[in-house]
Amino acid sequence: MKKVCVAVSGINAVDNPGPGIGVIRSLKEDSVLEIEAIGLAYDAMEPGIYMDWLVDRVFILPYPSGDKEGFLNRLLYVKKAANIDIVIPTLDAEMPVYIKAADYLQSMGIKTFLPTKSQFELRGKTKLTEVANKIDLKIPETRIVTSYEDLVKALNDIGLPVMVKGLYYKAYRAYTYQEATGYFNKIVAEWGYPVIIQQVVSGEEMNVIGVGDGTGGSLGLVAIKKLWITSLGKIWTGVTVKNEALLNAASNFVKEFKWRGAFELECIVSKDDIYLIEINPRFPAWVYFATGVGINLPARLLKAALGLPVEGKNEYSAGKLYVRYTYDIVTDMSIFQSIVTKGEC
Amino acid sequence: MDKLARLAISEEGFIFDPVSGNSFTTNKTGLFNLKALKEGKGEEEIVQALTEKYETTKEGAEKDVTDFIEQLRYYRLI
Amino acid sequence: MKESYEKPVILKLQMGLMNKFGASYLKRTRTEIDGVPVNKLIEEFGSPLFVFSEKRLRRKYKEIYNAFATRYPNVQFSWSYKTNYLNAICAILQQEGEIAEGVSEFEYEKARRLGIEGRDIIFNGPYKPSHILEKAIREQAIINIDHFEEIYDLEEIADKLGQKVKVGIRLNMDTGITPQWSRFGFNLETGQALDAVKRIAYSKKLILNGLHCHIGTFILEPRAYAQEVEKMVKFAYQIEDEFGFKIEYLDIGGGFPSQNRLKGIYLPPELAVPSIEEFAEAICDTLLRSLRPNDFPELILETGRVIVDEAGYLISTVHAAKRLPDGTKAYVIDAGVNLLFTSFWYKFNIELDREVQGVFEPCVIYGPLCMNIDVIDEHTQLPPLPRGTRLIISPVGAYNVTQWMQFISYRPFVVLINSEGKIEVIREAETLEDVVRKEKLPARLKLVQ
Repeated sequence: MKKVCVAVSGINAVDNPGPGIGVIRSLKEDSVLEIEAIGLAYDAMEPGIYMDWLVDRVFILPYPSGDKEGFLNRLLYVKKAANIDIVIPTLDAEMPVYIKAADYLQSMGIKTFLPTKSQFELRGKTKLTEVANKIDLKIPETRIVTSYEDLVKALNDIGLPVMVKGLYYKAYRAYTYQEATGYFNKIVAEWGYPVIIQQVVSGEEMNVIGVGDGTGGSLGLVAIKKLWITSLGKIWTGVTVKNEALLNAASNFVKEFKWRGAFELECIVSKDDIYLIEINPRFPAWVYFATGVGINLPARLLKAALGLPVEGKNEYSAGKLYVRYTYDIVTDMSIFQSIVTKGEC
Repeated sequence: MDKLARLAISEEGFIFDPVSGNSFTTNKTGLFNLKALKEGKGEEEIVQALTEKYETTKEGAEKDVTDFIEQLRYYRLI
Repeated sequence: MKESYEKPVILKLQMGLMNKFGASYLKRTRTEIDGVPVNKLIEEFGSPLFVFSEKRLRRKYKEIYNAFATRYPNVQFSWSYKTNYLNAICAILQQEGEIAEGVSEFEYEKARRLGIEGRDIIFNGPYKPSHILEKAIREQAIINIDHFEEIYDLEEIADKLGQKVKVGIRLNMDTGITPQWSRFGFNLETGQALDAVKRIAYSKKLILNGLHCHIGTFILEPRAYAQEVEKMVKFAYQIEDEFGFKIEYLDIGGGFPSQNRLKGIYLPPELAVPSIEEFAEAICDTLLRSLRPNDFPELILETGRVIVDEAGYLISTVHAAKRLPDGTKAYVIDAGVNLLFTSFWYKFNIELDREVQGVFEPCVIYGPLCMNIDVIDEHTQLPPLPRGTRLIISPVGAYNVTQWMQFISYRPFVVLINSEGKIEVIREAETLEDVVRKEKLPARLKLVQ
């Protein structure tokens, strides 16, 4: 088979890891695909840059908060320099630019496999109710606040503790009014209004990841439960589960919204109720877990994007364990030097 | 100029200070100035050399060399 | 052959900031505006200088008008004076077919002075003193009532004139967005708006013929307008069915975003701001779906910012470059928050008048005022700028030439580049005489010569 050159972002395998390394590792383990992996990084310190056994070449991109034209010009430069066939973005902040430019990129010979704009918008925390209703999930009591008065009222209505969240990013648990006010101010300062105040639901934290084919079909689903998380809330150990209600909800999600591309549903299972907490329109950082239990979602996504046949196996065993660990690389400064002076290596 | 002498400076404009562990980048004229300083040249000499090699005026080069040295001082490289 | 020169720069690599490109992969230069060289403009009128493009203004109006007019048969735009009430700008938009929308005595009189008929002026706002209200009614202006006191004022004027007066009322409502603008008009959900209608019907002195609403500013959510329109239509029919008034117009206000970058929004405007087509579609589809057959009340839009913002530029000049104690590069330019009031909420697009070689470094741009708040950009990436470099700042067409202030300096020239590419002065630079003309110095305080 012809070698496929894939650009993947999010190779920041740090304490708040991006999904890129898990995606690349999955792609490279596929038995059919032959992969050249191009890492797209935003900082010379992203560890993926130095993981040469997985990442073949690296290019620095300008931040997606800059102008769109500059961002796309840089991608076209990467296309020219490394001849990439497809790009798999994995970070929240860059999804809008890729989604908006998907047709343009396609015309320039760069494939993508992404949700549509309206699918992408479903992740907005103000839209969660709509999604949850359609797929028979519950959502925790939620208030959208834009002032200190609103905040106090929301805290009185919901009762402590609460989750204080930005519209797309950041989530903090607050046990007191003071804490809630502090997080509220922090989110407003960084991301602006509105802020979301949400009831804390107790139960088992479970997540499902999958890939939708864009016509209502699912290309594979895997559900897990987080066993141990870091102080940043990132999974460190987890276990696969087969919660039928949860998997059905995910497959209804794909069917109902004709979801295209990768996604993750974050849920809390409390007795017979399942609460939808968040929709992520991309792979999570633990995506390799699915690959490890036989459902290689990144490879399936890539095959779907390239129009190749996708394997139909959807069985995985419950009770498989996921363990993250740390590892060290010692290298000299040449790669670093090249990245900071040339923006690539 | 002891501090300058210890710096590892690459032709690409990458600078590593082995004592502080800091890294820096510079552009071609910055590199030119650094090398000149390392060789022990004075400000006036550097300005002269800059105007000979590059399309710039004496006044422009003077201002820039002063600012460049100010930056080096700020970074404690001289 | 000498090599091209760039300013020598050395940058320390800092954790978390090791991106060679930062947010600016493109080099942004602009040597002209509508074909007129930036240098020529400054030579003639000095720096700083506001420049408006007639071509861009007219094109933008047409684009937005067409987006609505092709989707709904009865559309009228009303120029929001507070956004930019320079005579030339108002006149251009009047030529294009806009009527005027004012929110104060000053704006009403300015529109009249320009030659706009009273019946082509919409008079809005929470503060309409009786004398100007009476004048507006005599001149058949369109009045949108903000509160109950205004109903009483209008009834008195109606008595005085011995005629029934046509009025609209302003509504405020929940359209699913925050913040909800609840301080203007009558609230729909609490029944306050219905009370206002009852009062108007009961006194029989006023004729209610319009509904007005303005849900907020820089709104990024087309669906909010769809909700607004749906609620307005529903309320209009309730009024028609229960009180016998005919609602002849639905004034949905403005608030559409321009291609400016709002501080606090991560994504660039090309991605964050929906197209005007999306707004027009949401509004007109909802209208057509909600209205009864063959009923097409006039749809009035009071769009300001989205029409004029991108037609305005401010050319300014780097006066000094300095290095702050923390190593940050700082530039002092000759235009500050006194001219660019909108810099408090926008991060502008800043272009250079020339190609400047050199490494981009983080910097801050200060205005000329001797005040700590005078910052045009807290953090941007620019190559090392020589003194005298011109910065072309945009979009600045909305709210700046109305909200600017004469603080410790003179306001500069405002010029228009007309459709033929010719420069026309539309506001002269202020002089000391302009500023002191209204002052009176008591004789006893005169300084001895």
